[in-house]
Amino acid sequence: MVITPLRRKVLRDLARLWPQSLAIALVLAAGVATMILGNGAYSALSDTRARYYDTSRFADVFADVTRAPRALLDDVRAIDGVLAAEARIVKLGLLDLPEMVEPGTILLVSLPEGGGAGLNRLHLRQGRLPDPQSAREMVVSEGFATAHRLSPGATLTVVMNGQRRDLMITGIALSPEFIYALGPGEMMPDPRRFGIGWLPRESLAGAYDLEGAFSNLVLVLAPGAPIERVIADVDRLTAPYGGTGATARADLTSHAFLDAELKQLGAMVHVLPPIFLLVAAMLVNMTLSRLVTLEREQIGLFKAIGYAPRAIAQHYVEFVLTIAILGIAIGFAAGAWMGAGLARLYARFFSFPFLVFSNDPRIYALAALVTAGAAVTGALFAVRAVLALPPAVAMAPPAPAEYRQQGGTLWRRLGFRQTRIMTARHLMRWPMRTLSGILGVALSVAILVASLWSFGSIERMIDITFFRTERQDVQMVFGQPEPLRAVFAARQMPGVMVAEPFRAAAAQISHRNLLRKVTVIGRPAEPRLSRVLAPDLRPMDMPEAGLILSETLAQVLEVRPGDNVTVTFLDGARRSLTLPVSGVSVGYVGLGATMDIGALNRATGGGQMISGVNLLIDPAGLEEFFDAAAASPKTGFIAVMGLTVARFRATLAENITVMITVYVALAAIIAVGVIYNFSRISLSEQGRELASLRVLGFTRAEVAAILFSELAVIVLLAQPLGWAIGFGMGLAMAGAFSSDLYRVPFVIGPAVYATASLVVCTAAALSALAVRQRINRLDLIEVLKTRE
Amino acid sequence: MINEPDIVFRTKGLTKSYRSAAGEVQALRGVDFQAARGEFIVILGPSGSGKSTFLNIVGGLDTATSGEAWFKDHRLTALDARGLTQYRRDHVGFVFQFYNLVPSLTARENVALVTEIARNPMSPEAALALVGLTDRADHFPAQLSGGEQQRVAIARAIAKNPDVLLCDEPTGALDSATGIRVLEVLTEVNRRIGATTLVITHNAAIRDIADRVLRFADGRIVEETVNASRKAPADVSW
Repeated sequence: MVITPLRRKVLRDLARLWPQSLAIALVLAAGVATMILGNGAYSALSDTRARYYDTSRFADVFADVTRAPRALLDDVRAIDGVLAAEARIVKLGLLDLPEMVEPGTILLVSLPEGGGAGLNRLHLRQGRLPDPQSAREMVVSEGFATAHRLSPGATLTVVMNGQRRDLMITGIALSPEFIYALGPGEMMPDPRRFGIGWLPRESLAGAYDLEGAFSNLVLVLAPGAPIERVIADVDRLTAPYGGTGATARADLTSHAFLDAELKQLGAMVHVLPPIFLLVAAMLVNMTLSRLVTLEREQIGLFKAIGYAPRAIAQHYVEFVLTIAILGIAIGFAAGAWMGAGLARLYARFFSFPFLVFSNDPRIYALAALVTAGAAVTGALFAVRAVLALPPAVAMAPPAPAEYRQQGGTLWRRLGFRQTRIMTARHLMRWPMRTLSGILGVALSVAILVASLWSFGSIERMIDITFFRTERQDVQMVFGQPEPLRAVFAARQMPGVMVAEPFRAAAAQISHRNLLRKVTVIGRPAEPRLSRVLAPDLRPMDMPEAGLILSETLAQVLEVRPGDNVTVTFLDGARRSLTLPVSGVSVGYVGLGATMDIGALNRATGGGQMISGVNLLIDPAGLEEFFDAAAASPKTGFIAVMGLTVARFRATLAENITVMITVYVALAAIIAVGVIYNFSRISLSEQGRELASLRVLGFTRAEVAAILFSELAVIVLLAQPLGWAIGFGMGLAMAGAFSSDLYRVPFVIGPAVYATASLVVCTAAALSALAVRQRINRLDLIEVLKTRE
Repeated sequence: MINEPDIVFRTKGLTKSYRSAAGEVQALRGVDFQAARGEFIVILGPSGSGKSTFLNIVGGLDTATSGEAWFKDHRLTALDARGLTQYRRDHVGFVFQFYNLVPSLTARENVALVTEIARNPMSPEAALALVGLTDRADHFPAQLSGGEQQRVAIARAIAKNPDVLLCDEPTGALDSATGIRVLEVLTEVNRRIGATTLVITHNAAIRDIADRVLRFADGRIVEETVNASRKAPADVSW
């Protein structure tokens, strides 16, 4: 193959300009990598979930009842649009594990009769399903089994309805219903303290006194069936049996958390790659503009000897495309590598039977295409002007840079030295380049601000939720509502110092056509442990009549204090009444509504009942308390606040280092790319002047300071802009991440801005140092012999 | 002799060799030279004769391979890069063929660039007045003619009240009329501030304005002429 002279020039230019080319390639690579990572992870999660749901016949609608006769199932199956329905028994049991002080929780789910068929099919990883006739066999979820090193053949003691039962584990399985297995009252999956056990129906029916009855329904709908209408029909059928309202798959915790993750990935794909591509296009434009200026006479020569403008343009595009190809190759490798890492992370959080990080060639092709497009766009803008020049004009040296009298007197009065005036005038001489530099560095600051704020936000969530709102040590939730006197019994338990009752009632709250299903919590008039906080963080007393809604719920329902809402309680007598909204509270997890416990009990009409107690426990008596709680037949589950916080923090800590590393690396790539290229261009333009100053007796440091003060101006002006852009991005992200499931408080303190600026300034300083060597090597004699 | 108060420059056996692709190049082959305070010396010689290398070494821009160069009681050949920078800063004024002005600074600001870092400078206005450019002080280099730019460069070189003024082809890029004007400024400045002035040129006609003329060839001084009387630049036939 013959290499044409122009191609040879491309290769030589690349070899000569390799540090600048590499800096641009890395910015492009970051764009490609984030695009591949984001899109790849998105499709991996959503495709895997879809395929898993499909192969396991995952239900579309879920409904809980207290106790319904099996005959009701036929009525449910007869609902128009229902393809299949199954009646299950789903109950919480307590775990008595020797290696744990506090009782763990296990969700017990009945297996369909007649073998492996049915809905929400299990994916057996080890062993076999229990013998349908056996009351002593169980299959457990994989995460739980792994956390406790359980394998088929092991025995587990489960407290079911107050009775201890030793069950043999026959198998280990996964279920589409618990991809994200969150225990009751938890904020992060903790497979040590929460597991799922699948047992034969009869075994559970016996333990919970549900022979010939069921407590949970799952339905698969025909494609296109109207889900709202089916849910209404199911609610109508289950109402007499304590039905608390059916939910669609989309509202299922496991599904919703996956949705939230997908939403975050989507946001990442829409924010990060465009930033990198924009910066890369600006860098290509900046660098190539300078190259073209330096080669102006060559371009004129090419034209004079008969090269068409197209061929010359193609030459520069080839130069840029070679850089782009390098960037794309690095980006492919980095994207695939990070994708594999993310897949491993997902495998820890989400229980999928398979998770393939898809290496869909279309994702790669799209990333390559978009990236090359951005680079070429930057190039074409740079070459355009020179190509338009007639050859004779192009061959002549460019007219000397015209400077105007820009504030010379002003600067002198301000005591500016001449070297500072040089800096200022040079920056103003090329306003577009200066602005590109500022914007580039600002975007690097913004990426950090927009990612680092989340840590403060999480701390705020923890502080508000666990130290100001839920101040109990332990929440003990009863298996079913108990009379008020249960609170006195709780006070008698070992170690208990303070006991405060609460009542939880499922309800639908509606305002105009807006409707949400929530759990209304009844609290004492002046709660001391589990409190509710006003937006100014002062604890709120319970109103005599009326509801306090969480900010999120108030927003969703579009109500303000003073408005009336309609509340329909879903258990018991299914009473419906209109209540005023007395206040709005802060809260980040779920949709919350609270009222006075007495008022709640009057409203539901079920008498003075409580759902559980919040307790302060003497640390010395904790172990004894747990033993007593596990032995009590009333105990449904026990949430230990300290453990919840610890788990929350531990999970975040595992990811925080990785996350900070990734974002700091991404921001540094931009900062280094922009500052390095900017300073090389500036040095190329002013090298002759700087060498002249050295001849006149300026020291190396004084000469370097001229160039560095240009960079300093760029970097300093970029900080406030970067903070502002980062603030906007963070705000948009907080909005995008918030759902009915949880709300992310947008908290951003000075530390976030300071950290972002520190990282970017360090990266800038390092790239400036790289250029310092070149300033030191300026040839003082050569500069005297040549005209620019 | 070193302590002789009127001797500004003295070199002995100064040599300079470069290693280039073609092999070792001897740019200077032993130059013995001295110059007195206030002397105006013209250096002639063909390209590659070593005259620029010589000027660069006594100006503190380059280092010698062997031999000694003294500026008053400073032994230049013993100074490191930092010492040479300080020497240039305190004692030397340079004028170059291509002016080497900073395009983003006005005439006044270009001069001020040097007066800001000098120990005993005159004001930029005074320096510009010396070269007759008072009314062009606020113009940028691109707004000045070549001759005017060179006069700004001279003003910049003399504004620090240098002990020596080193000029490498100061008229090389100028037409004769403008060149004469520049030479007039140089001789005037030499007279007024008493700086020892070394002027490199290709133009043998300029020799008559000097106190002394050196001719370089093949890395050595091959001829030295002392002019009994100096001509005014305007009287030189170009």
